Order: sequence, then structure tokens, then C-alpha cells
Amino acid sequence: MNSTGTAAAEGPGARFVTTHWSVVLVAGRTDSTRAQNALARLCQTYWYPLYAYVRRRGHSPHDAQDLTQEFFARLLECHTLSIADPNRGRFRSFLLSTMNHFLAHEWEKVRARKRGGGCQILSLDLAQAEERYDLEPADNSTPDKLFDKHWATALLEEVLNQLEAEHQQAGKAELFAALKQTLTGTRESQAYAVLATCLGMNEAAVKVAVHRLRKRYRELLRAEIANIVADPEQADDELRHLFTSLAG
Amino acid sequence: MNTILICPSCGRPLPPNAPKGLCPECLLKAGLQTEAQTNAGDPAQPKPPPFVPPSPAELARHFPQLEILELIGRGGMGAVYKARQPSLDRLVALKILPPGVAGGAGFAERFTREARALARLSHPNIVAVYDFGQAAGMPFFVMEYVDGPNLRELERGGKLDPREAMQIIPQICGALQFAHDEGIVHRDIKPENILLDKKGRVKIADFGIAKLVGQTVPDAALTGAGDVVGTLNYMAPEQREKPLTVDHRADIFSLGVVFYELLTGELPLGKFAPPSQMAQVDVRLDEVVVRALEKEPARRYQHVSDLGTDVQNITAAGSANPPLLSQPPAPVTPPAPPPEETSDCRILPAFLLAFIFGIFGAHRFYVGKTGTAVLQLFTFGGLGIWATIDWILIVCRAFKDKKGRRITKWT
Repeated sequence: MNSTGTAAAEGPGARFVTTHWSVVLVAGRTDSTRAQNALARLCQTYWYPLYAYVRRRGHSPHDAQDLTQEFFARLLECHTLSIADPNRGRFRSFLLSTMNHFLAHEWEKVRARKRGGGCQILSLDLAQAEERYDLEPADNSTPDKLFDKHWATALLEEVLNQLEAEHQQAGKAELFAALKQTLTGTRESQAYAVLATCLGMNEAAVKVAVHRLRKRYRELLRAEIANIVADPEQADDELRHLFTSLAG
Repeated sequence: MNTILICPSCGRPLPPNAPKGLCPECLLKAGLQTEAQTNAGDPAQPKPPPFVPPSPAELARHFPQLEILELIGRGGMGAVYKARQPSLDRLVALKILPPGVAGGAGFAERFTREARALARLSHPNIVAVYDFGQAAGMPFFVMEYVDGPNLRELERGGKLDPREAMQIIPQICGALQFAHDEGIVHRDIKPENILLDKKGRVKIADFGIAKLVGQTVPDAALTGAGDVVGTLNYMAPEQREKPLTVDHRADIFSLGVVFYELLTGELPLGKFAPPSQMAQVDVRLDEVVVRALEKEPARRYQHVSDLGTDVQNITAAGSANPPLLSQPPAPVTPPAPPPEETSDCRILPAFLLAFIFGIFGAHRFYVGKTGTAVLQLFTFGGLGIWATIDWILIVCRAFKDKKGRRITKWT
């Protein structure tokens, strides 16, 4: 899976028409193509945290790949969303509780019938998932906490991919590459003079560019968080929750 | 072969899957900054560098009237030192605000006005302000020194339970109502700012400092990441949106968050469960907490004293009607040595163990010696019965006499 590819294919403008999870929830009971697309896009972005969660729960790489594939196939094919779920307000919580239900009640049956891995509804790069998982540093967190950490990372990756895609479309790929580091740290801690020399711009122009980049990053981050909660009022809580999970 | 990359902002190692090679934590921290902060930051006007608290020795030069003993706390609002005031032979707390806050136009006048208002807040549950001023460009307050932990430290030490929360909250309400009547809003109510002295009395610290510093939303540059989230978690929704226009009801919301956390151990994020579903607490507290946490200020308690009264009424009703509460409330005391009767708990298991070993030893010793077995079994059986009856009597006495002195003597 390459979410940069997804971003480029859909184009940045297409993303902000709706918030994806609310579309899925509203149209959950019907076979709406729009809802299916919205759900597919969410699954494409956030499948890895779930894979790592399954691995952390003790499943072998092969099982985890089958299991993840089968889980998403069922999620997209079946009417799982019509089940009333108290966690459905947030896509993150919904996905985790649905996966836990799947692990507890259905996976063994599926495996017994050797159906795992049979469906290819989403093209997930599961082969590379294990390589990525191997690189994870040792972490004593519980599987749930680790899931949240991976989720935060997946979300940031998606936001940065969008930001990069926007810059590429505007012919400013080099500017993004040079300035992306300024997204972290404080505004005053940035080496504006060095950046100005590298980019052949004057320092004031670099400051303005950094200001705009940071502002746009925040907008995209908040928009992406709005995509994974049903109610916009939950966005702040979700952001704080993800920050706490990373900081913890 | 493996190279560990370090985040230039926070200095921590970057995870191997860092998005675009950037530190995820710092990225989210940047995302937590609000629009107000972003707009306030005109790139042409650099902000002051991050605040680094001076060492006690450095500070001592500017405060000849004090003996600076140690740095006891730091955060977004400055740093606090423990100091001694030799002239009055008393301990004081010296709070230093970041030097950058003093730069704005009209600061001196505002600082004087606010400090005088804070000095008028003479209340047993509010940390008293003794003096204020500016030294080497740093605004400072000399305040009452509270020898005791704050609620966050007590929470972390597992030394708080819902009963104690029921005792603490009305005290906070009384102090806040007093301040609100004086026209002062705290603006930063959180467990770190609520201290308990050695007598178990609540002392609220940092009254109005948030407004004075003009730090409507905590600045990630001045404080650690945890502090930013820490403060945001307690902020009323309107305080995040329009920080300059909040009134006393923002304090009521923040207190609601603190209360919920004291009762359940968790923060009321999103659609939170009522406290009685999370912990064994009086179900009537649900309404109190939910009302304090209403998003609309108009739907909250309008006076913090009403919240305190409701909590006290529930406490009183709980004492008369124990089944509603897990246990009747007890006075709040700071961590104290365990009472004498705990020794009982150690004596009884020790006695039981000795008894079991005795029987086991006797059985091992006499096994196979059939000639004397019956006599010996009777002897030890009798001893066993005597010991059991005695033990039951001790337990009965322990119930009657909770000091347990008889048991202690007996062993």
C-alpha cells in the first residue's frame, strides 16, 4: 500500500468534500458506493496499526496477513457497520473493537475453512508489513496502546503525504523537502538564515513560507482527524488522545 | 550499522517509521497549537526564547532578602523555588514568571493591578501572596509555602479515593467562590495547582497567573509536551475557542474535570461514562459532574458554591444512608503512618501459619508409630481445638477493640 499514491490519485481537493467516517456511518446500512469508497480510503490509510496489533496479540506473520486481509474484506463486503457499536463514534475505536470481536468469534472458523487470504478487495502491501513490523523498536506497551501509537503515526503519515502532494502539484516539491523539518519545533527555533541560503531566498520570505507551511499542516491535520470521527466536536479529544498515546 | 537519528526539537531518538523522517510526537505537538496561537505568531516578530529557570545560586543575586533553597517546580507559567525569609524566619515560595511576559506595553501597570487583586485573596484555602515585583526583568511573587503534595502527586501515589474527593471538592468550591466574588477567575484549575498541606487543608495555587502571563493557551515552547496536554485537558470549551472572554464558569468546568478524575481516575474525554459507571460512587454525583461539565456555560452550575453544596448534601445523605456509598466519608488527611491496629493483621496470619506447621510437624514425627498414635493424635487434636477456640476469641475481641492491644500482648 502506498498512501502517497492514493493521495495523488484522488487529488487534494477531493478530500475535503466530506468527512469520511461520518459518510460511512450515515450510509452504513445501505450499499452506497460513496460510503464504500470512503471506508476503503480509511482502511487504506489505517490498516497497518491493525496488522501490528494482530501481530502483537501473538499471531504469526502469515496468520496476521491472512487475518488482516480477511478482516478488511469482511468489513467492506459485509454489513458489519449495521451492528450497533458504542465505539462507532470514532473510526479508531470502532476498528479496534470490531477486530477484537472478529478475533474472538470468527477468525478460528474462517481459518478452519481455510478461507483466509482468499479475498483481495483492498490491495494492501501485506508482504512489506512484516518488514516494517520488524523495524519496530521494543515496546512494553499493551497491544491497545501500541495500536494507538501506530494509529497516530499512520495519521501523520497521511497528513504529510497530502501536504507533500499539494506542494508537488504546485511545483514546490523542493520547498517542501527543505522546509518539512520546520514543522517540528518552535517557530523561533528554526534556522531561517541557513534555509534562506539553501533555497536562495531572503530570510523574510523563508519565514513567511515556514509560517504558511505550518498553518497548512495544522489545517490538514485537523481535517484528517475530522475524517475519522463522527462528530466534529470529538476532533479535539481525538487529537489529544493520540498525542497522549505518543507521549505516554 | 543502525544509525539512531535524533529529533532536533525534543532530542529524543526518532522511531524507524517516523513519518517523512519527522518526530511524530513533535508533529502532533505542533498540531495541538491553536489557530489563535498560529495567527498571533507574526513571522516578522520573533518570540522570546524558551524559558529556562535560573539556578538557585543565579537567582540569589537578585533576591538578597531571601535564601533561595531549591527549585521545586516548573511549568508553562514559570518556575517555583523554595526559599527562606530570614527576617520573619519563615519558609516562602518564590514564583518567577518567564521574562518574556514582561515585554508588552502596559505590563507593569497590569502586573501591579493583578498582583494587588491577588494579594487581597486572603482565604485559608488559597495560597497567600506576600509580595511581588520584578527582578532582572523577571516578574516574581513571594507566596505562602505549602508543605505538602499536589493532587497530581497524590493521584500518582494512589493516595486518593472517591471519599477523599468528596472532602476536597467542597473546600475547592469555597475558595473558588471567594475568588469569583472578588472578580478573580483562576483560569488554570488542574490537579497540579491544588495542594494539600500537612493538616489536609486544600490550598489553591497560581490564582489568575494564566491571565497575568497572557498565556491564554499553554505554549508548547515554554513547557513540556505533557504540560500542554495536561492543561488543555482541563480547559473549558469556550476557553479553547475564545480564551480572552471566559468568565468564572470556565473554572467550574475545569473543576468538573478534576472531580471526574478524582472519582474515576480517568479524564472525561468525548462522550464519557457517568462516574457511577466507572467507580463505586453515589449515583447522585453523576448529575453534579455532568452539570459541571456542560459544554454550554449557561447550562453549567452558575455558582461554584452550588456545586460544593450539592456535594456536601450528597456526602451528608450518604452518611445517613450507607448503601449509596461504598463507605461513609472520612476526613481527608495527607499520607500518614498506618494506624496501630494494622499490627493485628500481621499477627493473625503468623499465628495460623505456626499452627499449620505445628500440626504438619506432629503428623510427620508420629507417622508409622502406631503404638502411640492414638494418644498423640488426641494430644495434638486437643491442642489444635484449644488454639482454634482461642483464635476465634481473639478475632471477636479484635472486632470489639480495634486498637488490638490484647492481641499484641498475647503474642
